[in-house]
Order: sequence, then C-alpha cells, then structure tokens
Amino acid sequence: MANLETSLKECLSSIDGATAVALVDYTSGMALGTLGGGKDFNLEVAAAGNTDVVRSKLRTMEHLGLKDEIEDILITLSSQYHMIRLLKGRGGNGLFLYLVLDAGRANLAMARHQLRRIENELEV
Amino acid sequence: MTRVTTTWATHGTTSDALGALAAEGATGALSGERGIVYLSAGRVVHVESAFTPDLGALLTRSGAVPPDGWWDAVDRGGTQHRVGHRLVDSGRLAAGALEVCHLGALFDAAYFVLAHDTRARRFRPGAVHWLGPVRSVPVDVVVRESGRRRELLDRIWPDPAVDTLPLARVPGTDSDELPGRRGRTLAQVDGVRTAAEIASALACRTYHTLVELRRLAADGLVRAAPPAAPPLPPGPEPRAVAWDDPDTALLRRLRDALEAL
Repeated sequence: MANLETSLKECLSSIDGATAVALVDYTSGMALGTLGGGKDFNLEVAAAGNTDVVRSKLRTMEHLGLKDEIEDILITLSSQYHMIRLLKGRGGNGLFLYLVLDAGRANLAMARHQLRRIENELEV
Repeated sequence: MTRVTTTWATHGTTSDALGALAAEGATGALSGERGIVYLSAGRVVHVESAFTPDLGALLTRSGAVPPDGWWDAVDRGGTQHRVGHRLVDSGRLAAGALEVCHLGALFDAAYFVLAHDTRARRFRPGAVHWLGPVRSVPVDVVVRESGRRRELLDRIWPDPAVDTLPLARVPGTDSDELPGRRGRTLAQVDGVRTAAEIASALACRTYHTLVELRRLAADGLVRAAPPAAPPLPPGPEPRAVAWDDPDTALLRRLRDALEAL
C-alpha cells in the first residue's frame, strides 16, 4: 500500500502537467511532505501561504453561516493551475493537498479525479 | 551501533540537548519534563507526552482502527518494535494514513515537550519505541515547528495554562453561534477535562484542539479551572462521554518500564 512518499510521487507521475505537490496541515501551516518545486518554486513558502487561503475561505463560510464543506479550491494563473484539495477524514484532520499544474499540459477534470483517488490512500 | 554519550547533559534546555544528540547521530530516548523524544541516528522518530493522546487513542477513537485491531497489533508487534508495520501489513490501515497520523501525534507531543523547554532529565542510549519505524523528522524541524506553534497559540491568547489545566466554561456567557469545531470543542469543556482529554474525546489532533480552546478563551467563554476545584464541578454534563477503554498512556508507560528492566 502507498505511503506518503509514494502518494506524492504518484501525484507527479500520474497527473499530467503536475510539477509540484505538498501535503499541508492548515491549522499550523506546516508541510508534512513535499515533492517537486525546486529552486524557482519554494514549496514550503507556498504551503504556508496557501494555508492562509484555506483559512480565509473557511472563516468566510463561517461568517456566511454556510455549513457546507470545501472540496477543493482552484487558482488559475496565466501559466499554472494551483489546486488545493482538502482531505476529509473522520474528525476533520485539517490537511490539504496542494498541487501545482502546468496550464499548457494539464487536464483539470482528470487532475481532480486522480487527486481524489490518491487522497483516499492518505485519509484516516 | 549505539555510542554512550554525555554531552547532551551539559545543555540547559531539552531542545539544545536534542541538537547535541542529533549532531552525534545518536539513537535512544531523551526524557524531558513533559515527555520523551525518541531518536534514531540523530533524527526524531517518535515523541510521546502525557499531555496529548497517543497514536493509539487517535486511531481507535476516530474509528480508523477498531480497538481490538490496535491491541492485536500491539500484542503481536510490540516486542519486535513493529506495531506500525503490523497495522499496515494486516490491512487495517494504509501506510500513508499511518504516516500522516503518526506525524500528527509526533508534532503534537513535541509541542508540549519543547514549549516547556527545561533541562532534559535523562537519555537512554539505544532505547527504541515499540511503535517501530514509521517516519523520521530532523531535530531542527521539530524544534522550529514547536516554537512556531507556541507563537501561533500565544498570538490567539497568551495563556499556556489552557494547554494543560482542567478547563471550565465561564458562567453566564452566550455560546449559541459558534462554528462547527469550536462549538463541538466547547461542548466537551466540563470543569474537569484537560485539553488532551478533550482532544481524545473528539478524536481530534491536540494542536487543532488547542487552537480552538485558546480562541474560546480569547472570546471569554472558557478559562483554566482554578487548581483547588470543588469536588463536584458545575460542568453541564460531567462524564457525558463513556470512558470505556483502558488508560493507554498508563499501559504504555508500564510496558516501557517493563521493557527497560
């Protein structure tokens, strides 16, 4: 069965256009695991920053009185997609997968579908 | 493999002692005032503290692993220090899920050990945790993350007593419109339980519970119960949740003590 390392590897190898991935705790902002990225894309910084995105959206939903849950958040740049997918897990484990995709090569619907499958292996 | 080392003892804080042990690539268990850090080849492989529910409590209370399954893995894998492997090999848990849960428990316990960063008490060279290898984290990452968490919590409400003392509701306050997790957390505050017991009851990570509790304290809804609490605290539903499983922290310490003989 897949461990954390192989799940992250699978994100990069099986999802077309994927260039970086991180598993992040959005209560603390800490990345539990990262893969890809490199010198020109600091994943630790991206993980911490996107934690603010998730928290801000959750807070907005609280203010609006929405009881629904976030499945994913998509941020579209001119050359990249950034996909944030919240892990469900019992008791709300407060984690999200953060995936960076090359917009020219990615298929968003497929990426979403594959991320959901990989996520299942990490959920408690 | 294991070299006997004493330089750790010259350091005045647990985090500095850990740094010295990491530099030597040490393997063993360093006891601080609030818990034990297990090292393997200079990296942190496990941390436990009586102030946080352990991995077993998190896994069984969340329903991820049935209690029988957990104890079966402890029975069969404990003496070979392979409990984690047993859980995965028996198909009860995906390896990734175990690693995520283990890292959560490790950083939760490390926060308590390192937030109260006094002189380390003892180092047992070669000591190995019965859970066995799951993931390892560099010492500096654990120390840095623990400090960051302390700052984040203090920014919400600078009272560390909330982390460890029994918690009580502030009488006469209105708590109707709280969002999901904060409301569920407040419902567990009964004048008796501590943050660790509330986290365990909710099967929620301790740090996440601490964030909610400090927010509740900042909102004036919760406070640390006075130390000389009356014998019958006025909690709304004391012991509303059935406490039917054994005290895993105590059993774990007993096992460690027996193994150390």
